[in-house]
Amino acid sequence: MDFLTSLPYWGILVLVFINALLVMRMNVEIEEGEDE
Amino acid sequence: MTDYLAQNWFVILLTVVYILFCLGIGWHFKKKAASGVREYYIAKREVPGWVISLAFFSTSASTNTYIGQAGKAFQYGLSWAWVGLIWAFFCVIAWLVLGPRMRNQSAALKSFTVPDYFQLRYKSNLSKSIRILSAIAILFATMFYMVGIAKGCAHVLESVLQVPYAWGAFMIIFITCAYTIWGGMYSVLWTDAVQGIIMFGVAILMVSLPFIYVGGVDELMTKIATTDHITKTGQPIGNGLVSFGMLVSFMYILGIGLSIGMKQISDPKSLIRFYSIDNAKSMKFAMIWTPIFLGVSLVCVMGLGALVHGMATAEEAAYLIDHTDEVVGFMLQKMDNQVISGICVAGLFAAGMSSLASVILIVGTAFVKDIWDTWKPMPEDQIISKTKWAMFAYCVLVFVISLYPPAGIVELTAFAGAVFAASFFPAIFGGLYLKWGTDLGALSSMVVGMVCTVVWRFGFRLRVESLKDLHEIIPAFLISCVVYVVVSLMSQDRVPDEEHLGRLFKA
Repeated sequence: MDFLTSLPYWGILVLVFINALLVMRMNVEIEEGEDE
Repeated sequence: MTDYLAQNWFVILLTVVYILFCLGIGWHFKKKAASGVREYYIAKREVPGWVISLAFFSTSASTNTYIGQAGKAFQYGLSWAWVGLIWAFFCVIAWLVLGPRMRNQSAALKSFTVPDYFQLRYKSNLSKSIRILSAIAILFATMFYMVGIAKGCAHVLESVLQVPYAWGAFMIIFITCAYTIWGGMYSVLWTDAVQGIIMFGVAILMVSLPFIYVGGVDELMTKIATTDHITKTGQPIGNGLVSFGMLVSFMYILGIGLSIGMKQISDPKSLIRFYSIDNAKSMKFAMIWTPIFLGVSLVCVMGLGALVHGMATAEEAAYLIDHTDEVVGFMLQKMDNQVISGICVAGLFAAGMSSLASVILIVGTAFVKDIWDTWKPMPEDQIISKTKWAMFAYCVLVFVISLYPPAGIVELTAFAGAVFAASFFPAIFGGLYLKWGTDLGALSSMVVGMVCTVVWRFGFRLRVESLKDLHEIIPAFLISCVVYVVVSLMSQDRVPDEEHLGRLFKA
């Protein structure tokens, strides 16, 4: 299998790993519920 | 009959248990969901992150992924996984860019549907028209999507259990319809979560089957790299299955990848997931884990068809290359193992039902709350019962069309995705991030997005040979975004008042 054919397979795994690192460092604010 | 039961008892048993379980969840939430529109439509914004995460994954990946996309790799080779990479990328974008803002703004606006978000956010005499137009787009685009899913599931039942196509389509549509009608968003989310777990396991199981059948990783990879099978046009495949771009152009991959991936940032059935999440901890969990669930499943599934070449004779491959929707069913038949078939059929059913349920609810809410109730307001207790009837009627219509489906699964769902991405994304992104975005900008981009999608597909792409790989999503999305910006900047007198915007952009 050539490099460009294999790239999406390991690329997806790298992508989700980087995303996890980013989100762990993020400050996410959610206002719970809503006004009745 | 006795022979049939003796041969298929395990698959039938597992399928029946799975169906009863889904119906049970719907029945369990029946009373709670019926207590109000907020409960029935968005599960009262009280659902934990892990449920939303699995529900987003199982809704995003459907029969289209497990049957249509997996099958396409039979024709296009392992390069087809590029579609998966683009898809996973937009899953990350959806959660990073839209998730928290959509949750906060929809709560601040008391929005229950995506079309009513448009009306409440842009707040003008035109915004009601935007709401109705977007609801009509939902009814139109989801038809193709639902037909595609029903067709895929019916093919699996036909291959594995020899259930006639029409009966298979009937079962998948009306069983899903039943539990969705009973439990509203509660049953959609909780069944989606269970289905997500099943789908994740089945993706891993499915990708291992060709390796087991052939007898090892090296053996299979060597076999598909030197196959004597032929392409759709009758040319030898050679090493095309493992070589980039030999069997499909990258432009075609990009178009399909964008149209499917971008659905996550524009399709109401995905966006509505953000509405129901309960708190910040849940949001962070979902932002991390949803791309993992989806990404790992796509790694397993997107190249599956190419691996199935290792299981097929030249004659079988010559048939399958023209019928890629049947590749997964063929693989299960070849394995000829009751347990594996039973688990995979349950997983494929889960993939189809999870997406169908979400869409059925979206269609019901769009028709009743966004069109009917907007045009002629009705008491809250009538909204839920009318939503249930609307969902049932739409399912009948989808069933009739699924008996005569107009094209392959991948193309059908990609077209629906293109309609949403081109017509909804600018209005959503602008609503969430651009204070200067206006109702006129949103309405214009929506109309232009829809028109461009249809005109490019039927006027250019299907008629001009040199444009056939340039998917309608690319020109339609770009033009729609430009129209939103230009028209908004030209109509700054229509920007909502500061107090309204201040409340939203604080949220």
